[in-house]
Order: sequence, then structure tokens, then C-alpha cells
Amino acid sequence: MAPIASPFHSARWFAELVARASADQSAMERLGIAEIRLGLEIVDANGPPHMYGIVLDGYDIESLGEVMEKEFAPEVVVSGPADAWQEMISSIEANGSADAAHTLNSLTITGLPFSVRAGDAMGHDKFFRYMGTLQAIFDAAGTPATVSTGR
Amino acid sequence: MALGLDLDYLERSARGEFDLGWLRNGHSEWGVHAKPSKTGLTMRDIAIGSYGEVPDHAPRRTMAPRGSDVDPDVPDLGYTINDKAEVWSDNLLDLYEEAVSRQWSATRDIPWGDLPELDPDIEHAMCQLATVLSEVEMVAADFPAKWLWRINHDFVEAKMFLCTQVMDEARHTEVFRKRALANGGGLGRSSAVVERFLQLILDAESYDEGSALMHLLGEGIVLSLFRAGEFLSPSPVEKKIFRLCMQDEARHVAYGTMHLRYRLDRDPSIAEDFHAYLDKGEEIIAMIFATPEIVEPTAILAAGGVEQASELGTAAGEVMRHQIIGEYLKRCQHAGLDRRGRLHLPEVLIQGVPGAMPEAMA
Ligand SMILES: [Fe+2]
Ligand SMILES: [Fe+2]
Repeated sequence: MAPIASPFHSARWFAELVARASADQSAMERLGIAEIRLGLEIVDANGPPHMYGIVLDGYDIESLGEVMEKEFAPEVVVSGPADAWQEMISSIEANGSADAAHTLNSLTITGLPFSVRAGDAMGHDKFFRYMGTLQAIFDAAGTPATVSTGR
Repeated sequence: MALGLDLDYLERSARGEFDLGWLRNGHSEWGVHAKPSKTGLTMRDIAIGSYGEVPDHAPRRTMAPRGSDVDPDVPDLGYTINDKAEVWSDNLLDLYEEAVSRQWSATRDIPWGDLPELDPDIEHAMCQLATVLSEVEMVAADFPAKWLWRINHDFVEAKMFLCTQVMDEARHTEVFRKRALANGGGLGRSSAVVERFLQLILDAESYDEGSALMHLLGEGIVLSLFRAGEFLSPSPVEKKIFRLCMQDEARHVAYGTMHLRYRLDRDPSIAEDFHAYLDKGEEIIAMIFATPEIVEPTAILAAGGVEQASELGTAAGEVMRHQIIGEYLKRCQHAGLDRRGRLHLPEVLIQGVPGAMPEAMA
């Protein structure tokens, strides 16, 4: 499938990702209800980090574009260097979905290259509670027509 | 008649003479209209009117729904948990809905046909871990089931959530049993120390004690282990098993954490009781960290073989142990129970974990 046309990372890229994931409503419903404010932080080699906000509310997914962390008040933030994000996206685009080494869980498990931070334990654990849904959203970068159900 | 069969009424109703007391003299909230929200008609949507009021102390011990008109001579069903704070959590209604909507099938959703033939040591290690997991998962169904019938029906949402947990744990038991039997390894060894921890949960004298031991301590550890399944899994099949179980487990831990928080918010004086429960539980957990049937298969799977395990597996074990203990401390803290510096775990296990050593409290 064609990669997302907008450059990564940009508000338009995340908007298109969410539009692709939302297109298969029945897949989202099969994955189940999710409620989370997720911050995705991309740390460029030079310059300040950029955070993009995604909100899951029931079966709905909303991309809030680039956000200020304080105002967005994410429950959990996944943060990592831009080249690691790019590598994950390239893997998804090449394989149709993340391969074993490039899932959100595998990239965060040791704290490298991605770290997970949260204001409290509940926010932190939400990242695990909705892992299947979050992975399906990112996998939509590789499969615009049919979102993996994670099942 | 012992049950008070009203023969007069039988005869009158057979003649078409109805009582209609339930219709004319009810105090029900006629006209109540719960409105569905985006995902459908949820438990939160119907928590309105007198039905939506959950009493701090249940006035009766019956199965009558809140908000219904109740006969004055209903029998006492003998519930022993009649205070809301004993079982409630603020996220209960949402967790129930989430649990129902995020169910999966260990038969259909795991690509069993894709299991590759594995090196015999790896297959053995995976099956040993699956044996332990299949063994411990069901206690998280047995424990809620043991207490379910004692919980007053005014707190039915807590009962309903625990029912979803019973179903989740049945599936976890199922999926690990299936894994042990699906790829040549078969079931491994069950160890006494694991059974002792399960016994501690099952024999807990109160729901408070058992819930702290299970929802917070035991399931917290299992959640971290499922998460680590990412680097323990010899194939994508196990990764999927661990990931799906992880989502369920995080719900159970979310209930346990928020329940304890609700409990302690309303009665901070019982914090020491909970510390005592966890002191006891952690002592057994320390023994589990020293149980070859658990430590060794984990190290072998993480390292990718017996020979590599002594070096790589030990390092991976340390990362996991730090994660398990660190996350447990944070959950306790969020619940309002600060275990920093007072863990009943030996120094060798907690060294390097932020906040775990006694001087953290200094
Ligand atoms: Fe479980
Ligand atoms: Fe569980």
C-alpha cells in the first residue's frame, strides 16, 4: 500500500494515520473500547522535541496534531529519537504491519529506544491495557484499507 | 405452606381478578430514560435516578436491584460485604464495559498453526513457563468467585466486573495450557512455593487481604511478566498470547489499584493492615524469585538458550525484576500506600530499584 503522503513527522501525517485507522470502524469495534490521551514525542537530533496528541474515546480516535505537553495533559507519553520513529514507520510500510522488532511494546520494553512516561501508575498501565488498539493504529500506516484487529 | 403460597390469589387470578399492586402502588421512577452514549447504552449511562445511587452501606441484604420496590418480608441472604468501600473503585463501571468489549478467543485469535518447531531447550522452557502461568492464572478466577456471593447486590457493578475477571482468567488458563500442549513440549513442573502463594490468596481472611495480594501484588507481577513476553517469546505466536493477556491483566491491576485507593481514601486508618498483608505476600514473592522453575525458563527464553542464559538471561532477569518492583511500588503509591523503603524483599532483589531500599525513606 502507498505510504502516507505527508512527511513524517508532521500534524498532517498523524491526521492521515488516524483517518486510515478510523476508516475500518468494525476493526476498531472488535478491538474494543479504549480511553486514553496519548502523547507521542519525537526527539530530533537537533532542536526541541515535538509532541503529537492522539485521543482514544470509546471506538473513536482523534488526532490533535502537534501539542504542548502541559496543555494536552497526556496520561502517557511515548518518547524516542526521530530516527527510531522513522525506522518503525518504515518497517510498518515495508511489511504491512510492524514486524516483531518494531512493535510499540518491543520498542518500549527496556526503555530504549522509546521510553514510556506517565504522571501516575494508572496512566502508565493504560499503555498496556490498549496496546492492541495502539498497535493497530500505527499499523494503519502500512494497511490503509484493513486495519489489523490485533487478534 | 412453608413458603406461604397464597391459594386465594391463585383462585382469584384464575378468575381474572388481578392484584395490580405492583402496577398501581409502585414507587418506581416511571418515565426514566437512560440515554445511550457513543458506544451504546453503558453501565454509566443507566446509573441515573435512584438506581444510580450506590449506598455507602447497603440497607438490605437481598438480590433486589437498587431503585426497585422491595417487599418488606424479603429474606436476608446473608451477604457479609455490605460496605461499598470494601469492593468499590471509581473506574469500575468503565472497566466492566471495557472488559466486555475487549474479549478475545484463545481458540480463534491465536495463530496456532504458525507455531514453529523449536530447539528442545527453548520448547521446554516455554512449556515450563506456560505450566506455571496456567497454574497461577486460575487463582485470579477462584478468588473473586469465592467472594462474589458474599458481596451485597447493591454493589452489583463490582460483582459484574469480577465476573469479567473470572472469564478473563479462564481464558488465560486456557491459552497457556494450550501452548504447553501444542508444540511438543507438554506440561512442566509445578512447584510448592507457587502453590503457597496461591494458598495465601485463596485463604485470605478478608476480601481486603486477598485483593491486595492478588490484584495489586500478584497480578502486577504477572502484568510485568506478560509485558516482558515481548522478549521471552520464541515466536510471534507467543508474542500474541502475551500481548492479549497483558491487556486483560492491566484491567485487573487497574481495578486493584483504584479499589485500594478508594478504600484508603475512606478509611486511612486501615493502611497498616494492608502493609501487613503485603509484607506477608512479598516474603513469598521473594521465594518465587528464587524458584528455578520460574527464574530459569525465563532466563533461557530471554537469552535464547541454556548456554547463553547465564550471561544474557541474568541481565534480562535484572531488567525484568527492576521493572516488576518499580511498577509495583508506583501502583502502591498511586493507591495511597507508600511501600517505598519498607518492602519485605531481600536486598539482593531490590538493589538499584529507585525508591526500594530503606534509605529511600530517609
Ligand atoms: Fe490473568
Ligand atoms: Fe488477572
